[in-house]
Amino acid sequence: MAISKKKIKLIQKTSSTFLWISVALMILSTIALYFYVRNLLKSEIEEELYSTKARIENSLMKNDAVYALPPVIEIKKTSKIGIEKLKDTIIYDPSQNEMEEFRELASYSEINGNYYKITVRSLVVETRNILMAIIISYFIIIIFVFVFLFYFNKAGNQKLWLPFFTNLGQMKRFSLGSEKPIHLVESSILEFSELNTVILTLTNKVNADYRNLKQYTEDVSHELQTPLAIIQAKIENIINSDNLNAKQYEHLTSIQKDIQRLTQLNKRLSLLTKLENRQFTNPEELFLNSIIRARIDNFKELFPTKIELLEQGQVRLKMDPYLLDILCDNLISNALRHTIANGLIKVIIDPQNLTVTNPGNAALQHPEKLFTRFYGEAKAKKSMGLGLAIVQKICNLYDFAPSYSFEEKQHIFKIRFYIDKSGTPI
Amino acid sequence: MKILIAEDETALQQSIVTYLEGDGNICEVASNFSDAVYKVDLYEYDIVILDVNLVTGSGLEILKMLKETRKSTGVLIISANNSLQDKLEGLDLGADDYLTKPFHLAELNSRIKAVLRRGVFGGNETIKFNEIAIDTKSKTAYINDMYMPLTRKEYDLLLFFITNQGRVLSKEIIAEHLWGDHSDLIDNYDFIYVHINNLRKKLTEDGSKYIKTAYGSGYKFMEE
Repeated sequence: MAISKKKIKLIQKTSSTFLWISVALMILSTIALYFYVRNLLKSEIEEELYSTKARIENSLMKNDAVYALPPVIEIKKTSKIGIEKLKDTIIYDPSQNEMEEFRELASYSEINGNYYKITVRSLVVETRNILMAIIISYFIIIIFVFVFLFYFNKAGNQKLWLPFFTNLGQMKRFSLGSEKPIHLVESSILEFSELNTVILTLTNKVNADYRNLKQYTEDVSHELQTPLAIIQAKIENIINSDNLNAKQYEHLTSIQKDIQRLTQLNKRLSLLTKLENRQFTNPEELFLNSIIRARIDNFKELFPTKIELLEQGQVRLKMDPYLLDILCDNLISNALRHTIANGLIKVIIDPQNLTVTNPGNAALQHPEKLFTRFYGEAKAKKSMGLGLAIVQKICNLYDFAPSYSFEEKQHIFKIRFYIDKSGTPI
Repeated sequence: MKILIAEDETALQQSIVTYLEGDGNICEVASNFSDAVYKVDLYEYDIVILDVNLVTGSGLEILKMLKETRKSTGVLIISANNSLQDKLEGLDLGADDYLTKPFHLAELNSRIKAVLRRGVFGGNETIKFNEIAIDTKSKTAYINDMYMPLTRKEYDLLLFFITNQGRVLSKEIIAEHLWGDHSDLIDNYDFIYVHINNLRKKLTEDGSKYIKTAYGSGYKFMEE
């Protein structure tokens, strides 16, 4: 069996694509903005530090007074020149009374024959706050934009795809055999309009083919009957003429048997066609229990196989009596045909179900095909392969649910009736 | 008995004639609608076998005519259409029985006789065959005036034998007569043998001698 992928809705799919792309863009742009602004602020601080240093050098050149403004400015006389250093540092800030992070420029200058170490610092905290403020406000703005775009996009998509979904609904309701044509919503979108044309062409074609096929089945089964009648009548007259030997008689009766099979096949096919055409419209209030009893009695005259009826409840049905007979007969005869030798067939009626069980050796290999035409697992038995297809069709007609299971060496066929407490079908 | 067979398939028509004439019936045929109308109008028949789909017109029209003018004539419809609707329509219009093609001639014969019994004798006829008597109204059978406790199928079997006496009846024909649609469920026709044996026992020595085997596996009901 093919593994079917989990299906998601188109709108959901486009929305989620939009969502993921937006989230990715938001994160990337926020990160980019963070680094950009941080670098901007950093170079701004550095520029400020250099210009402060230059101003200090200038003032040192004019007068020798060495002054300091710790921790922001510190000037020291030194004996030698070191390397200019730019670094982050944490030092105690008495004005704030706590340890603070500073950006520090330590440089050495020779002014008027003296060596000075000039250290200038700037507080980093402020730039960090500015950075955070920018990022947060950017983030809030982009979330607003995103939410707005998301709903706008979703609503737009819904409107855009509306004709598609309306037509999809129409197609879902389309059923072969019902004469109701399918009404599609016109759309100004070229692709949808093309899709509509294709759908209409296809459904018309399918309907026409289906009608032809039905007509063909009806015609064939109808036209076959007269030639079959002629063959059968002629064989009977030959059998009744005197000059036959036993061997010839054997052949003739074997032909009779085959004609009978053809006749039955024909009858069942045309019954299926009639069921598909919904030609049974004479529902009557029926009592399943008494009908089952009568059908079982009928079978008992014909077969030595034991059939046991367990009535655990009463079921009243409103359906065509002819079809109920066929439903019961087909279930019982299917059990009779496939039971193992001397196997007991059980028919159980409870308030909701009709169950027919027959013993078997193993579960069917393809139970899903059980109710289709001409499916048979044991070809040796002379089965037409239409009995359960007819059961299925009758169940479809009256909304019964047929099912098959295999438990404890029993093939179990169950028809569920969906009956309310008063015993009448819902 | 005088029988009209209105059937446009000549091969089928002739086969029916051959079979029915074997019982000493007088058979006339009509191969199209106008022919049938003409004959029904002109002559009196005990029974008319009517194909619903005559090429040139509907057999149901002839049925209506017959029921207006000749009420005592029995009508048996044969049709290639096995829809219940058609059957009910035919019976509503006054047909005595309805048979779907293909059918066994023995089956047709027994239906014809049943129609005649109901029509001519008002369903009261007692069929007699030497020591055997069948009361078709109460569905009981007697041998030498002794009541025979037959099951429903045994009774049907005996009646089928007597109405088709002198004919070879294969197990297939018997099965289909007795069990209709279900007979195709039978893989093995030995079961018929069991029923015939039971019937033979109940017929006692006097009656059972009439049921003869033909060609090894068929049966024939006839005088010694």
